[in-house]
Amino acid sequence: MSTVVIRPASSAWLHLGDHLARLREYTDLLHTLSLHRISVRYKQTSLGVLWAVLQPLLMMVIFTGVFSVLAKMPSEGAPYALFAYTALLPWTFFSTTVGNATNSLVTHTQLITKVYFPREILPITYLVAAVFDFGIGFLVLLGLMGWFHVPLTLQTWNLIPVIALLAAWSLAVSLVLAAVQVRFRDIGVALPVLLQLWMFGSPVIYPLSALPESWRNWYLLNPMAGIVSSCRDILLRGVAPDPVPLRFALIVTTIALPIAYLFFKRAEATMADLI
Amino acid sequence: MIDVRFEDVSKRYRLRASSRHGGGREQEFWAVRDLRFDVQRGETVGVIGHNGAGKSTILKLLSRITAPTAGTITLNGRLAALIEVGSGFHPELTGRENVFLSGSILGMKRREIAQKLDRIIEFSGVERFVDMPVKWYSSGMYVRLGFAVAAHLEADILLVDEVLAVGDAAFQLRCYERIGELRRAGTTMLFISHDLGSIERLSDRVMLMDHGRLVASGAPRDIVREYQQLVASTYVSDVADVPASAVTGVARISDVRFLQRDGHQVFSTCTGDPLRALVDIDVTSPVHDAIVEVFYYSRDGRTLHCQQSTALSGASFALAPGRRCLEFTCEAMGLQPGIYTIGASIRERAGAGIVDWWYGGRVLAVEPGKSVRGHFYAPHEWRWADGAAAERHPADV
Repeated sequence: MSTVVIRPASSAWLHLGDHLARLREYTDLLHTLSLHRISVRYKQTSLGVLWAVLQPLLMMVIFTGVFSVLAKMPSEGAPYALFAYTALLPWTFFSTTVGNATNSLVTHTQLITKVYFPREILPITYLVAAVFDFGIGFLVLLGLMGWFHVPLTLQTWNLIPVIALLAAWSLAVSLVLAAVQVRFRDIGVALPVLLQLWMFGSPVIYPLSALPESWRNWYLLNPMAGIVSSCRDILLRGVAPDPVPLRFALIVTTIALPIAYLFFKRAEATMADLI
Repeated sequence: MIDVRFEDVSKRYRLRASSRHGGGREQEFWAVRDLRFDVQRGETVGVIGHNGAGKSTILKLLSRITAPTAGTITLNGRLAALIEVGSGFHPELTGRENVFLSGSILGMKRREIAQKLDRIIEFSGVERFVDMPVKWYSSGMYVRLGFAVAAHLEADILLVDEVLAVGDAAFQLRCYERIGELRRAGTTMLFISHDLGSIERLSDRVMLMDHGRLVASGAPRDIVREYQQLVASTYVSDVADVPASAVTGVARISDVRFLQRDGHQVFSTCTGDPLRALVDIDVTSPVHDAIVEVFYYSRDGRTLHCQQSTALSGASFALAPGRRCLEFTCEAMGLQPGIYTIGASIRERAGAGIVDWWYGGRVLAVEPGKSVRGHFYAPHEWRWADGAAAERHPADV
């Protein structure tokens, strides 16, 4: 017989182990809701799964037109389309996860005020759905690499830990924004602009090397910088990712995720009263 | 063995009174304050009290929807809330898919849901439509399916919140049966309802909440009675016809009870429903030519209705010593929805004055039933009087 102790809201900061144990009890819900998320998204649109392909492809075409053809942006010798796409893939992952997850609590008000389950499940399901999109986007990338005659190397396996890091960072940001959004709906309104700015603050349309050396350390505090440039190193050049940007991303994420999670759990304790 | 333990639990809400210039003052209030109680394994406990007394807050805290501000709650065993969870449904998915979805939202494992799927669908009574998207469901079907999922949760501790108002009579009966089944299986239950009759019938013990505090706990009959007195004392102002003369006291009214047609005691009824009112009287010495009356007072103390034993015609009756019980039956109670305090009196027709006057112990809640336009409902029907077709139609809705 399991004993559960319900503690005051203020003590939510202290019981990380309890939170994780409870989340594990709800693995089935996470599984069901994530599948549901993916199937519903594509069920309701007539182009279905094609959207997962079209989204980054269209962005790539637009970016290539604007930044390569018009603005003559440097791309470290790679075809700009591929240069943009290798960054858009992780960037789209981040921006769709954060965008959807931030709203995930306020769009499920009915559930949150009626039933208990670990609330982090809602943002996490959007993360899982983004992994699914990423998989499809990656298949397109393979096609593009064939088209541009860029060889696929064994380095590609290094993409797995980089994507894990990307997922962890996306989750940390999502948890904080989703929790804040419950109290201040302004977040949802400001988010598209914030994400736009964030993209320009990450090496998506330009290479990391275009940055003045003196800015670099500050710039790399944004984990998306290390993550995006690592993806380029791995895919475009077929080399192991530059350890410095990656280490920055890893350290920031490792510190941020537990804090973000506890912040979320503290907000969760009284979420139903505010939402 | 204690299944639920509240230790000095308090919950504070902050309400922001929004002013036009943003900001606004923050007001706080304690929805429950220093709550301390235990529920034993297998016990069924009913919680009653006014709106805002803290009943639903107890459920919200127990089901973890919101966390307490102070204090701890300890639960031994798996807890489930028997609430209507149609809100977990997705309109595009079929009934069957939604059972899986809302089942897992409620914390069931996929395998567990698969095992119970047939029983859940049968319970809901929507078998024929189970492979149809729920967006085509009527609201009744929606609610029944949602409730059916919750009713099949495997739980050691079950929270029940007003669900018995869900669905039609047949579905409600099924819910009662299911609750009885779980109760016999030894499930610990916490009940919240405005329906004092079912609380009194189903509970082993009743707790009375008032302004966030637990004010009484004990045998259902006693606590329900205490609650009625609480309502009567806070709800209704002075009553107009308090007798001027002193009571003689040779016969005393001890209680006025209301029964449904089937003999169950009720504390509420609906406009237009039949109602039985029983007056318990202890007679010490005979009263000749007595008149017994039951009064229904409105909130502002006016007498809205009075039931009276034969008073004007020649027939009379005498109250012989002993415990007596007089029953008034009414085929269609015409009061509008609202809360009425009950008074009762015994008089002697000969004008010797009041034998006894009883007031304040009971309240009758009248809920919407037959529609009322005007001040009261009276049963009526209609037909064509021009000879076209003689059949009569009930006119009520």
